[in-house]
Amino acid sequence: MMDRLSIVQKTVMSIFLAGMALVVVIPLLFFGTVAFSNAAEMSEFPKSLFPSSTVTVRVEPTESGSYEVFYDSGEGYESIITTKDAEKLEKHFRRQYSVTLSGEEILADFSQTLENGPMEFTYKKDMFYNFKQFFSIVPNAAEALKNSIVVSLLTILISLGIGSLAGYAMARFQFAGKEQFNVAMLIVRMFPVVGISIPMAVLLIQMGLYDTLLGLALLYSVPNIALTAWITNSIFIGINKELEEASMVFGANSFQTFMRITLPLAFPALAASSMYSFLTAWNDTISALILSNENQTLALVVYKAIGTTSSGIQYAAAGSIVLILPALVFTFIIRRYIGQMWGGVEL
Amino acid sequence: MSKSTGQAASTVGIPKKSSFSRIIPYVLLAPVFIYYAVFWLLPVVSGVKEVFTDLNGDFTLVGNFKLMAESDLFNEAVMNTAAFAVISVILQYLLALVLAVLLSRKFKGAKLLMFVAMIPMAITPTATAILWKTGLVRDGWINTLLLQFHLISEPLVFMNAEGFKAVLMVILIDTWTVTPSVMIILIAGLQGLQREMKEAAYTFGANKWQIFKDIVLPILKPSITTSIIMRLIAAIQVWAIAVMVMGYSKTPFLVERIAFYVDVVPGVDTSTKLAFTYSFLTTIVVLLATVVYLKVSHKGVQKGGEQA
Amino acid sequence: MSYLEIRNLQKKYTKNGPMIVNNMNLSIEKGEFIVFLGPSGCGKTTTIRMISGLEEVTGGDICIEGESILAKKPKERGVSMIFQSYAIWPHMTVFDNIAYPLKLQNVPREEIRRRVETAAAATDIQGLLKRYPAQMSGGQRQRVAVSRAIVVEPKLFLMDEPLSNLDAKLRVSMRTELKNIHNKLGATSIFVTHDQAEAMSLADRIVVMYKGNIEQIGTPMEVYQDSATRFVAEFIGTPPTNFFMTSIERTEEGVQAVGDGFCYQVPVGLTDTLLPYAGRKIEMGVRPEYIEISPGLDRTEGYLTDVDIRFVEPQGSHSILIAKVGATEIKIHTTKYMDIAAGSRVSLNVKEGRVMFFDCDTGKRVK
Repeated sequence: MMDRLSIVQKTVMSIFLAGMALVVVIPLLFFGTVAFSNAAEMSEFPKSLFPSSTVTVRVEPTESGSYEVFYDSGEGYESIITTKDAEKLEKHFRRQYSVTLSGEEILADFSQTLENGPMEFTYKKDMFYNFKQFFSIVPNAAEALKNSIVVSLLTILISLGIGSLAGYAMARFQFAGKEQFNVAMLIVRMFPVVGISIPMAVLLIQMGLYDTLLGLALLYSVPNIALTAWITNSIFIGINKELEEASMVFGANSFQTFMRITLPLAFPALAASSMYSFLTAWNDTISALILSNENQTLALVVYKAIGTTSSGIQYAAAGSIVLILPALVFTFIIRRYIGQMWGGVEL
Repeated sequence: MSKSTGQAASTVGIPKKSSFSRIIPYVLLAPVFIYYAVFWLLPVVSGVKEVFTDLNGDFTLVGNFKLMAESDLFNEAVMNTAAFAVISVILQYLLALVLAVLLSRKFKGAKLLMFVAMIPMAITPTATAILWKTGLVRDGWINTLLLQFHLISEPLVFMNAEGFKAVLMVILIDTWTVTPSVMIILIAGLQGLQREMKEAAYTFGANKWQIFKDIVLPILKPSITTSIIMRLIAAIQVWAIAVMVMGYSKTPFLVERIAFYVDVVPGVDTSTKLAFTYSFLTTIVVLLATVVYLKVSHKGVQKGGEQA
Repeated sequence: MSYLEIRNLQKKYTKNGPMIVNNMNLSIEKGEFIVFLGPSGCGKTTTIRMISGLEEVTGGDICIEGESILAKKPKERGVSMIFQSYAIWPHMTVFDNIAYPLKLQNVPREEIRRRVETAAAATDIQGLLKRYPAQMSGGQRQRVAVSRAIVVEPKLFLMDEPLSNLDAKLRVSMRTELKNIHNKLGATSIFVTHDQAEAMSLADRIVVMYKGNIEQIGTPMEVYQDSATRFVAEFIGTPPTNFFMTSIERTEEGVQAVGDGFCYQVPVGLTDTLLPYAGRKIEMGVRPEYIEISPGLDRTEGYLTDVDIRFVEPQGSHSILIAKVGATEIKIHTTKYMDIAAGSRVSLNVKEGRVMFFDCDTGKRVK
């Protein structure tokens, strides 16, 4: 009864929420469309909300024995290219329409117009053309994908290994300087990573780790060790000591207790903090920019792809979908643990 | 408890006398200390050293700061960062608060909507940049939408925006990305708020607005201030979207300058110095915000404004 | 006309969902202390939430002084409520917590101060007015909740399990205090609980509820001694009433209730009522203190059977004896043979007029 809304309030609320949903969903839809669009669609205006799966061209034979190809980019058919060269046609169809057919096949189709006069031809688009293009245009994209995975895993490993030990120590033991240690960890966590990226580069050069994946992971672990310590600390405090003691009473040693009781109970915290570690490493571009040269990560590669090509942005879009997917999957898998982290929000 | 179990328990229990267990916490903390000594303190110290030495390696107190202050776009970078931090935080907070209040109501589809609202959070900044870039170009999807709903008659040219307008665009894009994470914190706070707290106010005659203003908001206040400062710290370090959507030097920010000197004009001695000095400045600003945060959160504890 | 009238009150949360409150009828007189008693989920909390205006009514009517309050908001109903979690606002001092309801009514500041102090004095928390709830114990927060409830001088006090979060000792002293405040203010109160001891000690009348229905309305003594249904007989009393499944048989000596391992001669006063049940099953209930034991194996008029005492649980003032009649385990409350040894053979006799019969299908008392 306290929560009852008047019709006006209900309407305003619905409109607001619907607006919010549209603001989130529409850009994403267009973004997906871009990643699956061919070059011709990219230059079309107005844009369509969904990508097409086929391309239709109109072909007229010319007196000189060539074919004139017309394409409709929104304002009626326009003449695009006049040729009878198989190679030219093949290139044109691949680049402009993402249609991967050999020039001979296209010519064979077009030759029908010699008898029938002007005709329309519909071809199936290669939907994943942009993705293939991304990996072939950007020379080290496949390598970069592998690098990103390795760097992320290394970051998770380092952060969890070192951070959870500290979290456990802070939760279970009283020791001198605990308060100061807590504040120090907070400062490290807040400290902008850019601030140490450049001197870190110098340090890594000295250690022979510059432009290595381990070097990047070492940098990404700096804020994440502190974050992991903080998250695991609060979870270890929440795990009742008596649960551990019960296990000891029934004859387990400390190691067995930790492995069988403490670790499984702390799993949500570990999952959540590894997600933060993963995302830091996976999404970062500025530190990667500073600390790497040859061994680039996927985020960096995609970032560079935007900078260089404003015409081929659909390839960069395809690349960034490759970039998003692992992060999305990872987030989805452990989202219920994230909910627990924020005090049990139902997600 | 029998004697034998008592002994077994004391080996795990809070260490009191055994010197071995007194060492344990330090053993567990040793890796962190070593790690941070090497990979945090060392870079920080050498970074600070760079800031206070000139190109010849001689000590200078303000030389590099002068260099920075006189460098291109310094004033713009400072002003834009300040404007961005203040406006984006306020905007994102208000939006997140309204969304959190609406979505924590119980109605059909609330969970689905919550899921939708959270999607932008999972999208990599680079991808966000591309997404908006494809929208903002002249024949992009934003103009498509505006034309189709007859809000404009001619396509607008967003990418030519300059100065404050450009900053405002970066703010809007940032808002799209960041609002969900703020919203989650607030929803967590709202869910933690006992229903009876609101009901009590309602039975004693408070209306909806009074309940929100007098009960809900003050109880959420500790978590709101904490997350505002966190947000502020992140906002100060904005750069990626600005560079990826607008390009370098179009919307200068503090961290954008660092990236600029590292990425665009590397190799020049002064640009390294400038990058160091900008990092130093950014760090100081962030640390100031952290200190404010510590003060505020400490006050919250003293006042006894606990949540449950 | 009663002070508070509840007529055919109904509550469903969803259209085809279960009836949480099912056609409830109840009249309460001014100054009464009423306790809603029942297990969790019986609809007692839902009922007072409907009275307070926190919950919408599906059907029926609620009237205070003859006037329907359904269309009114909580503040216009003149009720005030004490919540299970106390619902003390953590960001306000004790003073502000108590003063907030008055501020909402735009009471002048000087009067607010005066009334808050009076209300605080009533619960003995004058010294805590400047404190925040986080700095107080559970008992002190409870007192703040009570002060806040009385400061608005309501027509009706609603209390939703207000003592359930306190420890056992505090709970007992707090309930005396609540009753005391109720008497002093001459207020009308409805108190919800699942604790029968609390209900018995506080109530002028108890409303026993189960699955959305009122099982019985009566004084604590009536509800205990003269339970209207099997549920009431079982729910109220520790240990609960002993039940035996019997069949009614007509013999030459009169009417008998024949159970597993015993044969009980039905008292003359009940024979006529029970005759229609001849040849059918009926449940017989006897409270633990109305089964008398005889180590000398004496058999009186209410003779049940001979048993061996299996366990003895001394309680100091009395002992609980456990025995088996047929396959049924029964408990006997005795003050006379507190030292009896386990294994003793005794005769069981039901005290005269203390047997209750319940219909197996409806659970209603047959009398």
